[in-house]
Amino acid sequence: MTEIANVTVRFGGVVALNDVSASFTQPVSGIIGPNGAGKTTLMNVLSGFVRVTSGSVSQDGTDFLRLAPHRRARWGLRRSFQREEIAGDLTVFDNVLVQADNAPGGDRAAEVSEMLAHVGLADRADKMGRDLNSFERRLTDIAKCMVGTPRLIMFDEPGGGLSVDETKQLGALILSIRDKTGAQVLVIDHDVELIRAICSETLVLDFGRRIAFGPTADVLADPKVKAAYLGTEEVTP
Amino acid sequence: MTRLLRVTPSGAAGLAFAAFAFLAIPLLAGKLWLSVFTSTACFAMACSGVAFMYARLGMVSLTQVGLMGVGGWVMLRLNHAYALPFEINLIVAGLVTMVFGWLLALPALRLRGLYLALVTLMAAGGLEIIFATFQFPNGGEGFWGVKTGSAGAFRRPALAQSAEAYFRYTVALVTAGFLLIEFHRRLKPGRAWALIRRSEAAAMSAGVNVTLYKTWAFGIAGLLAGVSGAMLAGSLGLLDDATFRASESIMLFALAVVGGARYWLGVVIAATLYRILPALLNNWGVDADLSFVIFGAGLLHAVITAPDGIAGQLGDLLRRVVRRPSKDTPEDRPKDAPA
Ligand SMILES: Nc1ncnc2c1ncn2[C@@H]1O[C@H](COP(=O)(O)OP(=O)(O)O)[C@@H](O)[C@H]1O
Ligand SMILES: [Mg+2]
Repeated sequence: MTEIANVTVRFGGVVALNDVSASFTQPVSGIIGPNGAGKTTLMNVLSGFVRVTSGSVSQDGTDFLRLAPHRRARWGLRRSFQREEIAGDLTVFDNVLVQADNAPGGDRAAEVSEMLAHVGLADRADKMGRDLNSFERRLTDIAKCMVGTPRLIMFDEPGGGLSVDETKQLGALILSIRDKTGAQVLVIDHDVELIRAICSETLVLDFGRRIAFGPTADVLADPKVKAAYLGTEEVTP
Repeated sequence: MTRLLRVTPSGAAGLAFAAFAFLAIPLLAGKLWLSVFTSTACFAMACSGVAFMYARLGMVSLTQVGLMGVGGWVMLRLNHAYALPFEINLIVAGLVTMVFGWLLALPALRLRGLYLALVTLMAAGGLEIIFATFQFPNGGEGFWGVKTGSAGAFRRPALAQSAEAYFRYTVALVTAGFLLIEFHRRLKPGRAWALIRRSEAAAMSAGVNVTLYKTWAFGIAGLLAGVSGAMLAGSLGLLDDATFRASESIMLFALAVVGGARYWLGVVIAATLYRILPALLNNWGVDADLSFVIFGAGLLHAVITAPDGIAGQLGDLLRRVVRRPSKDTPEDRPKDAPA
C-alpha cells in the first residue's frame, strides 16, 4: 500500500501540489490530470528529487522521505521517466543490468535475461541503446523496473508517443508486473485511455489539487473530472 | 568473465600497438628520442585519465598535469629520503595522488560542466604556485628536500636500469593503465558511469550511488596521473616546475578532445601531439610555439566537425574501407576501445 498524506510542494510562488492525500491499495493504480497538474512532481517526491513542503509518504509502512534517492531504489522503488533515460553507449542488457547491479539479489544476469524475455526483447539484448526505437526504449525501461525485487514501480506517461497497438501491448505488460514481481504499480498519464484500460483505482489531480480518487470507472464519470478535461484535446468519455 | 576478457578489434589493435612500441621503439630510436618517447608514454597514461572522465562521465578535469606533479614530487621525495625499491615509491606516489584526486572530487560532486572545469583549473593553479615556490626534491634536507647544486642520484627499477628497459617498463605500465580503465568500463562501475553521463536522476533511480562512482572516477584519474608523474620523474631523474603549469593541464585535456577521448588511439594521438610535435618542430628549426596554433586549429576542428576526434574519424574511415554490412554488432565499433 502506498500512502500519500497531505503532501504539499511549492516551487517559489507555484503550488505544484496542494495538500494531496491518497492511499493506493490496488496492484495497478493511476494518476491522471491535465498537463501541469503536478503528476510528475508527485513522482519526483516519491523518487526523492523534490522535497515536500509538508506531508508524508510511505510504502507498506516504510517512511520514504528519509532515504536518499539511490537508497530508495535499493529498497525497491523503480521509476521510468517521461523522456526515457536509456544510456546510448550501453547494450539493452547492460541498461537493465545497471538496476540489478544496485539491488540485492542473486544471479543478476539470469534475472536480466528473464525480464528481457518477458518484455519481448530477448533477441535485442545485445543491441546498443542508441540504436533502439521508441517502443524498444519503453520496453527496456519496463524490464529495468522489474529486476532486483521491486516493491513500487512508477511509470511517467509510458504511453507517450506510442501507436495504439503498442500502447495495448504496453498495458498488458504493465498488468503482468504484479504477478511476475509482486510489486505495486503507479501509472501516470494525461491520456485517460491507458488508465481506463489497466488501472483499478485512480487519483485525479488538477492545478496541484486532488479532485477525485477512487475506482477508475467512478472517477472518470465524475463531473468535476470531466470539467477538468473539458476543452483539452485528450477528452474522450 | 568472457565479457570481461573479450578482445574487440580495436582492443587487439591497441595491444598490437603496445607490443610494437615495446619491442621496436627501443631498437629504432636514438637516446634523445627514446627519452622523448618515454615521456610521451607517461603523458599518454595521464591523458587516459582525463579522457576517460570526459568520455565516460562527461566531466572536465583540468588538473591532470598538476596531479602528475604530485606523483612526481612524492616519487622524488621518497627516492631521496629512503632506500626503498622503486616499485614501493611508485605505488605510494600513485596512492597519494589518488587521494589528491578524491580531494578534488569533493567540490566536483556538487558542480558540473563549466563550474567543475573552473574548480579543477583553480586546483591546478594552486599546485602550480606550490611547485614554483618549493620546487621538486633533489636530495636536499628538510621536508621539501631541495638543495642548490647538482641533484642526488635517482634509483631506477632493478628491472629497468637502462633507457631502453625503462621505456619498456613505462609502456607496460601504460598498457596496464589502459586495461584498468577498460576493465572498469566493462564492469559495474562502467555501467554506472554510462548512466550517470546520460542522466544523474536516472542513475539515482537505478540505485547508483552517484557520489561514490564519481569519486571513484576521480580516484582512478588521480592514480594514473600519480603513476605517470612518478614514471616521468624516473625517466628524467629530476623535475622542473614548468612542466606542471595549469596551462599544461588545459592543453592535455584539449588534445584528448582533438585526438578522440573515447579511444585508446585518441589518447595516443593526444600524447604524441603534446610531446612529439613540439620536439619535431624544434628539430626542424621551427619555433615550437607553432604547435599552439596547430592545436588550436585541431580543437576548432574537433569541436565543429569531429566530436569523436581524430581517432573517431580514422575509425569511420576504416569502417568505410573494410565494410562489413552483414553485421551490426557493437564489436564493429571502435567505440569499445579503452579510454
Ligand atoms: N523544478 C521545478 N521548479 C519550478 N516549477 C516546477 C518544477 N517542476 C514542476 N514545476 C511546476 O509545477 C507544476 C506541475 O508540474 P508537473 O508536475 O511537471 O506537471 P505534470 O507532470 O502533471 O504535467 C507546473 O506548473 C510546473 O511548471
Ligand atoms: Mg509530467
